[in-house]
Amino acid sequence: MNWTDAMHFVRGPLFSAALLFFIFGMLYRLVTVIALGWKRDHAPAKSSKVVGGVLNVLRSAIIFPFVPRIREAANRNPITYLAGGIFHVGLFVVVMLGAAHVLAWESVLGFRWPTLPLPIIDFFAAISIIALIVLFYNRLSNPVLRLLTRTPDYINLLVVFLPFLTGFFMTHRLLLPYERIYTIHVLTVDILLIWIPLSRISHFMFYFITKPRHGARFAQRGAKP
Amino acid sequence: MATNGKIRETALNTYIKEVGGAVAAQLEACTRCGICAEACHFYLATGKPEYTPIWKVELVKRLYEQRFTPLGRLKVALGLAKPVSEAELREWVEYDYHACTMCQRCSLVCPMGIQIGDLIHMARSGLQAAGLTPEDLQQALDNQLEIGSPLGVDDDTFDERMEWIQEDWEVDLPIDKPGAEALLVFSSIEIMKFPDNIAAIAKILDAGGIRWTMSREAREATNFGLYAGSDELETFIAQRVIGPAKRMGVKRVIVSECGHAYDSLRFRIASLMGETLPFEIVHITEVIGELLDSGRIKIKPGVLDEKVTFHDACKIQRRGGNFDQPRQVLKQLAGDQFVEMTPNREEAFCCGGGGGVIATKAADTVRRAAFTVKIDQVQKTGAKKVAMTCSNCRLQFLDCVDHFALDWEVLGIAQLVADNLVK
Repeated sequence: MNWTDAMHFVRGPLFSAALLFFIFGMLYRLVTVIALGWKRDHAPAKSSKVVGGVLNVLRSAIIFPFVPRIREAANRNPITYLAGGIFHVGLFVVVMLGAAHVLAWESVLGFRWPTLPLPIIDFFAAISIIALIVLFYNRLSNPVLRLLTRTPDYINLLVVFLPFLTGFFMTHRLLLPYERIYTIHVLTVDILLIWIPLSRISHFMFYFITKPRHGARFAQRGAKP
Repeated sequence: MATNGKIRETALNTYIKEVGGAVAAQLEACTRCGICAEACHFYLATGKPEYTPIWKVELVKRLYEQRFTPLGRLKVALGLAKPVSEAELREWVEYDYHACTMCQRCSLVCPMGIQIGDLIHMARSGLQAAGLTPEDLQQALDNQLEIGSPLGVDDDTFDERMEWIQEDWEVDLPIDKPGAEALLVFSSIEIMKFPDNIAAIAKILDAGGIRWTMSREAREATNFGLYAGSDELETFIAQRVIGPAKRMGVKRVIVSECGHAYDSLRFRIASLMGETLPFEIVHITEVIGELLDSGRIKIKPGVLDEKVTFHDACKIQRRGGNFDQPRQVLKQLAGDQFVEMTPNREEAFCCGGGGGVIATKAADTVRRAAFTVKIDQVQKTGAKKVAMTCSNCRLQFLDCVDHFALDWEVLGIAQLVADNLVK
């Protein structure tokens, strides 16, 4: 197999297989969690749980989830907040608003949306890469994170880091000829798609259960979530 | 209680039984970012990474992964998974029972909105079922189950105390009075250690023209089943309040200044029993707020001429929403002399004595260490008077005021109101 064949393979059958694995893997995870059953809450609410839940998600989505709810707590660990926040914003901008990625989305979804100019995308990619390195260093140096971190957490960082790094190299024509680095980039994306349902990167899906639930519970008790 | 060797099995089976969708979603959502540590006064005061809130549920989390997730099951099949051991369960007794009051401050900083306090309650449930509850907490629970009170307040003691309070404080304490619209329930901390609180609440309710009664059967509102982590025992104990309240046909159950009783009765018990209760459950602070708003009671403005601050209790304020009524009282009594701690309201640090921690002797050192966060907060306000709406907090404050030789006056809101009623 030469590089051209490899390129066709990773962006063709392998990508399709990875995407299907991602979709069905995530569905499986979601269904198995939901099927564990939910208890009905009989305690009267002090304020609307629905409003509390929706507002909590909107607040996070619109204002940016990493605006700390308790500032003095965030000030004690600014690295996690800042690097975590910057990475998530960078991820969204690069994957959802980068011209090349919107083309990829179009090939899957059949429609497209406006994009941002490459220098802006490039900037967000660069700060995301730096943020991931900082988050890795943070896991190694912070005593709490050293205790909490398990091997899969490092694999998560690596699996997310590689598409960013190869994408950045590709944009700047660094290291390898375009076709090869492109092939490697798409391969890392395939790996990421397969790894997400197997790992904690899937947290973004459960976020849409836990975050509104938090809002609902605090609203029920008459407190601001 | 499990015998030796059965400990591990009992704890793990309890955890498996308790895993539902909500628990699973929360365990799945955690990315191990460690931010929760920065919200926890037990971690902040000791710097011990093991006191990171989410680490306190590590065993539940590991078991969940091994039993409920495909990759976890694969690891078990391949012999790569580390099983939860009895030694680890014993180790976690310290993290779950000594170093957590389930105050839920951590849930506010969690970017995923995980209710870590609830998960720690679940972590306790397995330890409790396996017989690993700290000895003195278990003793208090046994007392409550057998005698009806963790402090051993039996029928005779109850009658004697009530008689004594009626005489010494010159109040009328109606017991099992038919036709009452409200049932007032207390904790034995108040019966034994803060009798003046009972007299104060009686005065307020009388002044407000409420037809109320106490009940000999429902004489204990505290719930050591909740502290220990057993939903079953919590329900059993709470029935002693719910049952009589139903039979008396009251419209309301008023919970005195006890945070955990309020949390359990107001927000938990209906769901544990699987029914909607035919009466409402309110905290005395809410009643005071209503009576002041409607003008049924009035308090003397400006009588406190020294700086006073307010401590937000985890179960009554952050987990109960009663932020404004105590502040309304203090603003009236103290005017500009009322000063807020920082952080406050939802963001306030809990006293460190809740969740049964103050009833656990082995937790004394860490409990007092956690209080140093509070000392710092209060000292920054410059106030020497600290008011609160929870007798459990008050017990912790009084113990620590004594231990750290602080020159503070610890006050209950109900007592402040009763002492300053406009006749």
